[in-house]
Amino acid sequence: MDGKIIVVTSGKGGVGKTTATASIGAALALEGKKVAVVDMDIGLRNLDVVMGLENRIVFNIVDAVKGRCKLKQAAIKDRRIDNLFLIPASQSDNKNVLDPEEMVRFSSMLRRHFDYVFMDCPAGIERGFENSVAAADEALVICTPEVAAVRDADRVIGLLYARSITPKLVVNRIVPALVERGDMLSHVDMVDVLSVELIGLVEMDDQVVVSTNTGVPLVMQKTSKAGAAFRRIAMRLNGQVDLPIQVPEASGGLFKKFRSKFGLKK
Amino acid sequence: MKTTHPEKTPVRLKGVGNSLCVMLDPMTSADHLRTELEKLFTGLKNEVENARVTIDVGAPEGYDELIDELGRYLKETFKVGSVERARRKKPRSRRIAAESKVDRLRRRDMERSWHDYRTDVLMLTGRVRSGQKVTARKHLLILGDVNPGAEVMAGGDILIMGSLLGTAIAGHPEGNENIILALDFRPTQVQIGSYVAAGLPASPVKVTEFAHVENGNIVVENYLEANPFGRLPWPQAR
Repeated sequence: MDGKIIVVTSGKGGVGKTTATASIGAALALEGKKVAVVDMDIGLRNLDVVMGLENRIVFNIVDAVKGRCKLKQAAIKDRRIDNLFLIPASQSDNKNVLDPEEMVRFSSMLRRHFDYVFMDCPAGIERGFENSVAAADEALVICTPEVAAVRDADRVIGLLYARSITPKLVVNRIVPALVERGDMLSHVDMVDVLSVELIGLVEMDDQVVVSTNTGVPLVMQKTSKAGAAFRRIAMRLNGQVDLPIQVPEASGGLFKKFRSKFGLKK
Repeated sequence: MKTTHPEKTPVRLKGVGNSLCVMLDPMTSADHLRTELEKLFTGLKNEVENARVTIDVGAPEGYDELIDELGRYLKETFKVGSVERARRKKPRSRRIAAESKVDRLRRRDMERSWHDYRTDVLMLTGRVRSGQKVTARKHLLILGDVNPGAEVMAGGDILIMGSLLGTAIAGHPEGNENIILALDFRPTQVQIGSYVAAGLPASPVKVTEFAHVENGNIVVENYLEANPFGRLPWPQAR
């Protein structure tokens, strides 16, 4: 097996990297691919909580990288999805226990065992980021429609290009009504500034909070708009590049629907 | 034209080659002039004998009688060799000569002022992203955008053929004459020489604007309307 290492990063914290990693990983696993999600936020792990696997952790990535355990021991199988594995971070170490060379070696092992490996990069551009991108083939940059997030994403995109990684953009937490009113950055403005390929638009969704607290994958909730968006991102990553990007729209009243039907409003 | 002030001395003496040039104010009375000449020539009695003397009245024509009278007086009293009128070029011909010199300079400037001029322009294409910093020794030209959080700095002018959203520092460190131009001018901050401006209001439509220093303030204007260099009479190297 010759898997792909995809780093999920953003620069800024709290934009939804961990949620995106868990969701896209789960969606790809549901498509039948063997997927590993790796928590690179050593010292501040939380991907295990989002996936509802916190009570199953025995070994972590530091143990696996340092050879204190086998990869199979560190990779925790998801409760619901067979092809999905979590490699958790260590909570007691700091980011400096690993270095990029070790990660490159470890990643080549991961490539042999999985179709897709998602690295959940910590916020910031320091050692944690260096370790996460060291062996990455592709990158997903998660960005919310905020000026601060765009600026940090821009910085990260520059750093990724410097490592010859071409990033793809996921715009997360879009509130269509605010965008329509002009109170929120539109994805068009963001792509204008960041000038990278857009791979998905994810709407703000209350279900995300429910999912992260219960550990039920977002992509398994049929009614979740965010879940649907992440599923589509997974499909695009999995080769369906022609899948059109759906722009979230504010759910308008009957009159608005009527108008749009007759071409009076886009 | 050099004229002596009546209140001061109406007569001045200057040695020109092997002759003496007497510059005098023809408006002064002949008697007064004679007294003044006497004062000057008495001190130089030995030198002025048989000397060639020219009299300059400050005008090319006229005052012939005055010159003749004073010449006779000098010849008789101080035994000067010859006295003649100073040959002055006509003012008109002088003006023409001066103009032609300006013309020559102008023609040279128009036709080849930049030929032997070497300038450093750093020309880049692409996007300058947040956290990146571009520094140019002289002018900086970017065919692309400058994102928020990025910084472009130049010793001369900065021209952005795209959007300027980051920080631009022109004329670093002291070039207050430099400009910052962008096709879409929405910078976080601009600095020109020792001046800093931030929070510049963005224009509602995308127009080419430029920032420059005017009366100690950074002013942003529509480039095509202001056309700051269009008024220069001929192309000049910058």
